[in-house]
Amino acid sequence: MAQGRTSRRARSRISRAAYLVILAFGALAMFIPFAWSLSTSLKPLSEALAYPPQWIPRVFDWANYVKIWKLVPLARWFGNSAIAAFGVTVANLVLDSMAGYALARLDFRGKRLLFLGVLAMLMVPFQSVMLPVYIILKDLGLLDNYYGLILPLAVQAVGVFLMRQAFLNLPEELEDAAAMDGAGRFRMFWQLSLPLVIPSLLTLGLISFMLSWNNFLLPLLVANQPNLWTVPLGVVMFQQEYFVNWPYLMAAAVMTTIPVAVVFLAFQKWFVKGIATTGIR
Amino acid sequence: MRMGVLMTAPAIALLFLFTLGPALYAFYLSFFSWSLLNRMHYAGLSNFGYLLTSHLFWTAVANTASFALVVVPTQTMVALVIAVLLNQNLPARGFFRLAFFFPAVSSSAVISIIFMWIYNKFGILNGLLATLGLHGPNWLANPLFALKAIMIMNIWTTSGYFMVVFLSGLQAIPQSIYDAAEIDGASAWQRFIRVTVPLLKPTTFFVVVMGIIGTLQMFDQSFILSGGTGGPLHSTTTVVLLIYQYIFSYGKVGYGAAATVILFAVTMGVTLVVNRWLGKAIEY
Repeated sequence: MAQGRTSRRARSRISRAAYLVILAFGALAMFIPFAWSLSTSLKPLSEALAYPPQWIPRVFDWANYVKIWKLVPLARWFGNSAIAAFGVTVANLVLDSMAGYALARLDFRGKRLLFLGVLAMLMVPFQSVMLPVYIILKDLGLLDNYYGLILPLAVQAVGVFLMRQAFLNLPEELEDAAAMDGAGRFRMFWQLSLPLVIPSLLTLGLISFMLSWNNFLLPLLVANQPNLWTVPLGVVMFQQEYFVNWPYLMAAAVMTTIPVAVVFLAFQKWFVKGIATTGIR
Repeated sequence: MRMGVLMTAPAIALLFLFTLGPALYAFYLSFFSWSLLNRMHYAGLSNFGYLLTSHLFWTAVANTASFALVVVPTQTMVALVIAVLLNQNLPARGFFRLAFFFPAVSSSAVISIIFMWIYNKFGILNGLLATLGLHGPNWLANPLFALKAIMIMNIWTTSGYFMVVFLSGLQAIPQSIYDAAEIDGASAWQRFIRVTVPLLKPTTFFVVVMGIIGTLQMFDQSFILSGGTGGPLHSTTTVVLLIYQYIFSYGKVGYGAAATVILFAVTMGVTLVVNRWLGKAIEY
């Protein structure tokens, strides 16, 4: 009996070690592409093209990081990305939470139909409607300006859904008390309920920010002029022009990834929560 | 109440303008012949007729289908295995979760550029293969390997996202069920097959459906890795990339709209089939 217990414990220790080894190899596989782009970005071109490839640069050469800002309007692209992502984030925070609140808390005609419509739109990915969206943007004169980068992403069905869930979880008595004091519906929403769903707003803000910041297809459709390109689009266009100069490209890749990494590390918990609440219904 | 309508109106209007409206508009456009510049002509079903006899369209369908058939099962299984391992009481779980999840929040454009460099004929991947005594192909220039290279990249990127979805599903399974199974003498493998897999069915359904929708719409990676051509020899042309080319390279809005309608119908159809197959009520 005692022997059985020790052997089981030994076995569980071995399997735990095996799990850790598997996870460590997996994490290494996740890490290598980023490490390789960082390594390449610190090499002169001749060294980057050497075969067999060397992991550690002979000299850490930061020149690529400086040169690329002069070679392409990278600052402009970062600015464009920031403007678009900011606009998309604010629009979603305001519009999604208003709609989510109404669908959760108010009674009005056609509410059920609207909610079913939002649910149906969860299933329509942006890529699949690229062609009609492009024609609509063109007809509305939204090509080659910031509105075109913002409006198509200004409301997300998933955001409306997320906010509706958040408001449904608030106790109703809260608002009954406020109603007795004669507060109007909009004031109740704005001053009473909204501050109570800040965690969901944070999740929604992150989802929206990332959606816009990482977007490639929408800027590709909207921005024909280089001065309106966002970072992802600019880097790809730059690649097609300078496709041999990998150190420049990897420096651009590293600099594009850093803001995402910072936001991700700071708000990791909320990302996970966002997936858990929007993912599983 | 008027307030309800007022508060939903802006969101509904924008969703209609950029989501549902376009879907309906594509349906309408699919009956016309139009180049964006000339006058529209009613074309009946001829756009669909053209697509169904177009060799290139079927190539795109085959590429998209094989992409989905390889990527969805693989990423689902990888995500499930990592999630189950991370759900054990192991050290550094937070670190591992971070490491696996990070690619999923990075920009697909940047990831594609990084992988282009990795897949370079004289790149790091072939360098690693050479140390194992293997001779790697010129991944992105070889029609036999280009789509496979994108599949690998895609699995690498999205597995971590679905791993987090599985983790939250796993945390909803009560520990008492595992304890009871262990007392009954079930091995770790039996607990995985008999407890975890059946109880995770709703999560798996979600992961598979999202995986199918995502892979059927694949565009960024093909566009970037092939420089917009879908090459070499159309081996990375997906349906959405072809739709893009119908507008911007060929000026054939009707073909693109018809392809959009077909893509829609297929996406909905596959989702419904998976729903029937995986979505049955779970039994405790």
